[in-house]
Order: sequence, then structure tokens, then C-alpha cells
Amino acid sequence: MNSSLPNRIWKWFEHTRVGRSIFRVGLPQSNLERAQAMVSSFLLHIQPAKVNRHSLRASYSLGLGLISLYLFLILIVTGVLLMFYYVPSTDHAYNNMKDLQFVVSAGLLMRNMHRWAAHLMVIFVLLHMCRVFYTGGYKRPREFNWVLGIGLFLLTLGLSFTGYLLPWDQLAFWAITVGTNIAAYLPYIGPRLKYLMLGGNVVGQEALIRFYALHVIVLPAVAGFLIAVHLWRVRKDGGLSRPDEPGDVIQQVEVSQLPTSKTYGLMELARGTTPQVGKNPEDEVFAWPHLVFRELLLFLFVVVVVLLLAIFRNAPLEELANPIHPPNPAKAPWYFLGLQELVSYSAFWGGVVVPGVLVIALVLLPYLDRKRRGVGRWFARERVVANTIFTVCLVIAVVLTIIGTLFRGPNWSWQEPWKKPPAATEGH
Amino acid sequence: MADQSLRKFYGWFTVLGLLVGCLVVLGYYKDEDREWKVYQRKFIQEEARRATTPQQRAAAQSMTPQIRQILLPDLNRVDRCTTCHLAVDDPSYGGYPQPLAYHPLHERHPAERFGCTVCHRGQGRATDTADAHGNVPHWDEPMLPLRYIQASCAKCHEAADNPAAPELSRGQQVFQESGCLGCHKLAGSGGVIGPALDKTGARHSPEWLKQHFLAPGSVTPGSAMPPQRFSDPDLEAITLFMLSQTGETAPGYYASMKVIPSAGVGQRLFEQKGCIGCHSIAGKGGTVGPALDDVGLRRSPEWMIQHFREPKTVSPGTVMPQFGFTEDEARALTDFLVHLREQKVTMSLPTAMTPAERGHEVYRKYGCAGCHAPDGKGGVANPNSKTAELVPDLIHVADGYTKDELKDRILKGQHEINALDPKRPPPPLYMPGWAGTIKDAEVDDLVEYLFSLKPKGEESGF
Repeated sequence: MNSSLPNRIWKWFEHTRVGRSIFRVGLPQSNLERAQAMVSSFLLHIQPAKVNRHSLRASYSLGLGLISLYLFLILIVTGVLLMFYYVPSTDHAYNNMKDLQFVVSAGLLMRNMHRWAAHLMVIFVLLHMCRVFYTGGYKRPREFNWVLGIGLFLLTLGLSFTGYLLPWDQLAFWAITVGTNIAAYLPYIGPRLKYLMLGGNVVGQEALIRFYALHVIVLPAVAGFLIAVHLWRVRKDGGLSRPDEPGDVIQQVEVSQLPTSKTYGLMELARGTTPQVGKNPEDEVFAWPHLVFRELLLFLFVVVVVLLLAIFRNAPLEELANPIHPPNPAKAPWYFLGLQELVSYSAFWGGVVVPGVLVIALVLLPYLDRKRRGVGRWFARERVVANTIFTVCLVIAVVLTIIGTLFRGPNWSWQEPWKKPPAATEGH
Repeated sequence: MADQSLRKFYGWFTVLGLLVGCLVVLGYYKDEDREWKVYQRKFIQEEARRATTPQQRAAAQSMTPQIRQILLPDLNRVDRCTTCHLAVDDPSYGGYPQPLAYHPLHERHPAERFGCTVCHRGQGRATDTADAHGNVPHWDEPMLPLRYIQASCAKCHEAADNPAAPELSRGQQVFQESGCLGCHKLAGSGGVIGPALDKTGARHSPEWLKQHFLAPGSVTPGSAMPPQRFSDPDLEAITLFMLSQTGETAPGYYASMKVIPSAGVGQRLFEQKGCIGCHSIAGKGGTVGPALDDVGLRRSPEWMIQHFREPKTVSPGTVMPQFGFTEDEARALTDFLVHLREQKVTMSLPTAMTPAERGHEVYRKYGCAGCHAPDGKGGVANPNSKTAELVPDLIHVADGYTKDELKDRILKGQHEINALDPKRPPPPLYMPGWAGTIKDAEVDDLVEYLFSLKPKGEESGF
């Protein structure tokens, strides 16, 4: 056993009175303790004591869900720090950004981390969804967790969108103006929804305070709750998806099917698709240290990436918001630019029908595509139709977003990014 | 026993762990490494070097680098310029290189009261040179080049009244004489052919403005404005004047500077209200009221102010009418009279002018010269107009119009200018209708002036 100095100090500490009062199980030495370490720790108990080797394979999950979770945690920490300075008032918000940059210790670093982690989170939640799709992970028994995941994706967009307004610069003001105008294309409820979001007809103080409250309390609380349920369901639905094995029995036992003439212990009621399903001792390893160690490693990796971005690239901050000077073109946040591009062809079809149908299709997907074949493998041959449809939609969405982001100049005209736009005339 | 399969990750773990540590240190270092600290250390060194007593030296050495800022809630500004410009208030630093130089105007415009950016522009909240001086993307207010600094005086002072800002009043003069108001509105008066100029100074750089005067089409494609032929000093002066037009209104205390009595305002009021009809200065004027040359010796300022409010309360039986001056006007007139005997005042006496002379003033005041050139000589380009692609001269209007016809023409204007070639774009300049802008009596004078332009000895009629 490792007997380095830090290790010896730790050993000594965990056997002191104080150490034992804090850690219910010390550094595990035996398999029993390894299992206990997981189930008896608040922070670890949402994970199983033993995990399938398949779930540990980085080439399978790519760690995308975990990366999203870590980004969310980084956003919470940096977000709370930013809240100590931010005042959601049109008089102060922009000046707060300047103060963060010029006089607050590490203020700019926190803002940069928050900004880049937010953009990364949108990307990684989307990638995570793609991974689950391409590996058939949404199939029984994980249908509902897929639906929760769609909810979390929309919440991520909502969190990013509400945060976009807070710096109160030109970028923020006009992106939110454009974004809420897209929402107003919804039939009947659209204009009301826009009015509800903005607390008026135009972006102003009312909108700022609404977006702030949504951004710092409502959406994070809902997202935090859904993340917990999402993780809980991952475990209750049998861990990460993986190929069916001969011994696997997928069986959901309804509580009502149990004989009612008997008194049940709690353990007997906790049935259904649980980690017991697909249990094959040879394929399992202890979560401590195999899973925990990998998770820690991935966390370090995410922190490194976010820190690198934050140190070397500053978050954008344009001029103070000016309601009478729209930039040309005024663009929504980048993740809505595919939508804006569609809207530029047809407000109704691009702004309502296409995104509406897409979201509904994603939610219904696990209930429409019910064959349990090709689960747990990337691009399984059996799923070629579903994968093709999904890929086509994804590529179109990405291409539209790229066009909207890079190829649209003044008046939404075609503009190659490597060509300089015509010299902007200052002016009347 | 510990599973050996994790050993392959140990290297990664070490590298990533170290990387996180390094990045945190790097982030901290980057955050701590601020340009202003360098200047503050230099300042502290300089203070210590100049110290003559041990106490002074100890005081200097006990200074720690810190952000300094001037909070100006009235002006909605926070100026941190003094974080680097540490000696703006210390005359003994006169002649030092920036950023440690003394500010020569500090006596009259102390930094703690005015800050810096209200005159110099730039970004007051910033604490590094590039951002603070404002020549960075996404900042609309770069520092005003020093040679145009007098433009900022106009925020609080009347352009014409400030002996410390000769360039500004020169610019205003060029503006008036060049007839800009013929096409542009400024502070509510002027023409409508071109855009209003009230915020020009906040929107445009000096370079843009200069380019715009010399070749308007090159910076504003399709501009109807004729290229101006300014001499270099005039170009600089009018550029400075345009920079002074920011549309900002200084609040409270700062705005009061504009109405605090100044000799210029008082003199203009004195002339406009026709005081000279009854009173005389330097032997010129009426004899109904007393001569005013040494009124400042005879009467106190308080007496004079009260006299302007209600003459009878301080001078029973006086025939002077109650003019209904505002409080500021009363103060301004008083100031003018109090200082009268110290200055040699040349009065322009409105009553002594002929109608044609008054008309010439009207011609200048409303910017007719902008299109018709000074003295109605014409020659300003108006592409594709039937009149030889020029705005017509006015020297021979007496031949083509009766006085009533001419008056009518001025008041109604002519919005459609006949085109030389209907295929080309219509002529950009046109004659606006001046009804409601130029007063009736002024139009009469203007007509007299225009009729007087006809060269002597020429035959009338075509």
C-alpha cells in the first residue's frame, strides 16, 4: 500500500475523533469499504457502488453529460460571485461590467469563465443529446429520461438567453430584441409571450429585472432539480445504456401487480428497472475508485479548458445599450441564429412550424421509435433510418446556424466572412 | 488492494492538476499585473525623492498603490483618470511628462469637482491607457485631441463669451458666416435640407468632420451638401465648433455657468432690447434716461437688479418701463453695466442701421450664404439644375421681381428645382420656404438688402 507522507497524514487524520466524525468510511481498503464509501456519502450516493465496465468506456459516453454537469457547477459558482457586484438596473448594469473589468479583483476572469462556460454548456448539452441518440440510449426503459433531457436542453437555452441580456450592452439589447421578436411569431400566444417576457413591448428596465430573476433564481432552481431527477433516473433505469446481454431481463414490475395481502419492506417495493437489471458480476467494477477517479479527471479537464478560454479571451462587451441605434444586422444569440436564418425566409414556417415540430418530435421520439435493437452501440446498423433522419436535421440546423452567424451582413444579405463588409458609414 | 488499472491515469492526473494550479496562478498574476500600478510606484518614488524632511519621506513611502476615483453623480460619471494622473492637482509637478503632469487649469476647474472626462472625453471608468483614452472598439467617446479641447468649454459656457476659448468663438463665427443654418438646424433654428447638427460633435471624429466639409460625398454618399472652401484655420475652427455640439446638457451647477451673468450676454441683451434708445454709452444713444458710462460707480449691483425687476421700487417716478426681464437676464445686464466703465464697448446700434444693412444681417443670420454665397454672388454647385448646375446668384433679383414678388418667393420657397436632364437624379439643393422662420419685418429688410445688391449704374429691365 502507498505509504507516502500525505497518505500517512491522511491515515492519521481519518482515525482521529474529528476525522471519524466527518467521514463515515475512511479511504476504503477493502471491497466492502469501497461499496460503503459510495452508499454512505451524501455526495457520492447518487451513484451506484458498482458500475458496468461498459459505462466507464470514454469512447462510449465521451463524458458529455458529466461535462455539461461540471459546466453547470462552474456557472453556479462564478454566477454567485458575479451576483455580488451585479445590479439589475439599466443605469448600473453596464457600468458594473466596466467595473468588473477595471477595478474588481478577478472580476473579468469570473465574467469570462461564466460567459465561456455558458456557451460551452449549450454546445455540450447538444452533443450529449446527439450521443444518446446515436447510441439509442433513449429506448426503453430510458424514455422518460430522454424527455427530461430535452427539457434540460431547453432550460440551458433559456438560461443562456436570459443571461445574455444582463450586461446591457448593444449586443445584449439587440440580441434579446431579435430573440423575443422571433418568439412573437407564435400564433395567438406569441405577442402575449413576448409581452410577458419583456414586461412591456420593448426591452427596458422591466425586461432586465425579469430576465435577471429568471436567470439567477427560477431557471437555475428548475434546472438543478431536473438535473437531480435526470441523474437519479440514470441510476434507476440501470445506469448508462449498453448493449443487451443474454442474461439481461428488462422487466418492469408494477407495484399493483404485487400481492396486496402481505406487508412489504421498503427494499421489496423498490422494484422495476433498477441497477439489478443486467447484473453480471464479471462486468462490474467498484465505483470507488474506477468511476470517481475518472470523474475527477474529467472535472480537472473541464476546469482547464474553461480557465484557458477565460484567461486568454475576454467576453464581448459592446457599447452601452442604445434603443435608437440598432446595429445592422441585429443578431440573436448564436444558438438562435439558425432560427433567425429560417425566420428570414418565412416568419411562420421558420419561427413557428419548424422549431415546434422539431421539439415535439424530439419529445415523442422514444415513444415512436420503440424497437429495442441497436441500443448501446454507436451508429448501429439496425438504426440506420433513425440515424440518417437525425443526422440530416442536425446538419441542416448546424449549417443554418453557421450561415446565420458568419455569412449574414447588413440587412441580412449574404456576406462572406473573409471579405470585408463595405466600410460602415458613420452617419445620419 | 488497489486496482492497478488506474495507474495509466496517474500521469494525466498529475498533468491536469498542475495545469489547473498554473492557470489559477496565471489568472491571478494577469489580474494583479495592472498598468496603473507602474505609474503609482513611479509617483511614490518621485515623492520620496522630492521629500525634504524625514516625515515627508515616510509619508511618501507609506503610500500604497490603489485605485483613485472621482465620483460625479451629477454628471453620471466615475473618473479614475487620477489613478495614473496622480499629480493633476499639484502645481509643483508642472512640466512633468505624462502621466504625472500638473493640470494647468486645475485652479479654475478642480478635478474633484469636474472630473476629467467631461472635458477630455475618453472612458473614465477604465484603468489602462488604451481603454481609458478610449481609442478602442466599442467605445464611442475617444479622448478629444488637445487642439480641439476648447470645444468642451461650450458644454457650460456660452461660445462667444469665453475669452479663454478664442478658437471656439472663432468657430462659431465661421459657422454663422458660412451660412450653415441655411440648410441645417442647430438648437431649433435653421433650414431643413440637411440634418440637424445638435449632436454632431458626439457622433463624429474630427477627421470625419474635416473630410465632410471638404468633400461631403466622400464620407456621406449622395450628400447634397456643396463642398466648402475653408482656409485651413477656418476649417480647424469650424471643426472645433462642430465638436462642441454634443447635444449634452450639463446638469445643475455646471449648467448654471451658462446663465451666470457674463458681459457678452448682457451686452447682447442691451443691444436687442434697444436700451440705447433712451440711454447713451460713450456719447452715443438717447437722452431720455441718464448716460450709463459710469453707472457702476453710482449704483450697487443689488440696486440695478432690483431696478430691472421693478424700476419704480428703487427709483420712484421713473419713466423706465418694466421690461419683464428674467432673473438671469437682470443679472446679465447688471454685470454688463457694472463692468462698463472698465471696458471700451463698441455698440452696434440697431436704430442707426439702414434697412438694407439690417437685411444683410438677416441674410447672414439665416444662412442664405450657404447656398447663395456671401453677398449673393452665387456659384455654389447644384448638380443637374437648369440654372447652369449652380444655385442662382441674387445680384439681379431687382430686375426680375417686384419687392412683393420677391418676399413671396422667400416665404414660400421652391421645392421642385427644374432639372437640366430629367434622366439624372434631381438637383439636391432647393429653396426652402422661410415663412414662420424669418420674421415679417426681417423679410422686408432682407428684400431691401437683396435689391441693394444690383450694381450701381446698371440699366434696369431685361
